[in-house]
Amino acid sequence: MTTTVLLFGQLQEITSKHELQVNEMADTHTLLAELSRMYPAIATAKYMIAVDKQIISGNTKLKDGSTVALLPPFSGG
Amino acid sequence: MSKERILKNIFVKGAIGAAFVGESIQKHSAQTSIGAHSIFLGQVRADLMDEKKVSAIEYTSYEPMALEKMHEIRAFIFAKYELTCMHVYHSLGKVNAGEISLFVFTSSAHRRAAIEACSETVELIKKELPVWGKEIFEDSSHQWKTNT
Repeated sequence: MTTTVLLFGQLQEITSKHELQVNEMADTHTLLAELSRMYPAIATAKYMIAVDKQIISGNTKLKDGSTVALLPPFSGG
Repeated sequence: MSKERILKNIFVKGAIGAAFVGESIQKHSAQTSIGAHSIFLGQVRADLMDEKKVSAIEYTSYEPMALEKMHEIRAFIFAKYELTCMHVYHSLGKVNAGEISLFVFTSSAHRRAAIEACSETVELIKKELPVWGKEIFEDSSHQWKTNT
């Protein structure tokens, strides 16, 4: 089971990554714990989470092929 | 054929030119049921922070999500206001201070719907669209923009 992670804005800058693949992540809590271990700055950053383009709140189960996006505060316009 | 919905694109590369805005207005002259247009233009401001001046903003987006969200905003606004049409353009990439990065254009039979719909659409775009602005200073350093 593979999950695609997309990073934007400050988070892309902190990690120097826009996209990464992670394996065997059952839910968003597990995924975020792993990402925070890989990139400690993520642990303290402010962001919302979208699973397959839908903003979620709370722990969410992931399916094979899910895309999880970490979205810093929006600043368009 | 893709099964995905084809969503209207709102993104343009770089600044939105005055000629483009003028042509957009001109295109509506055949629609004579329209009695009012309301236009919002967002311009990049040369803010001063710690004696450093912003020279440009570089915009990025999570485009597939932004276009879905814009589709929802459009549906919400059309359900709420008696609009004839609505057009939204947002820049991606670098836009220099003094240039236009957001163009929202609403039209209706009477002024109130166009004005209120335009204003509410701008607020929703700023609040809900996954777009990020990186403020670039004259010395090439940068900081991430925050919307107020």
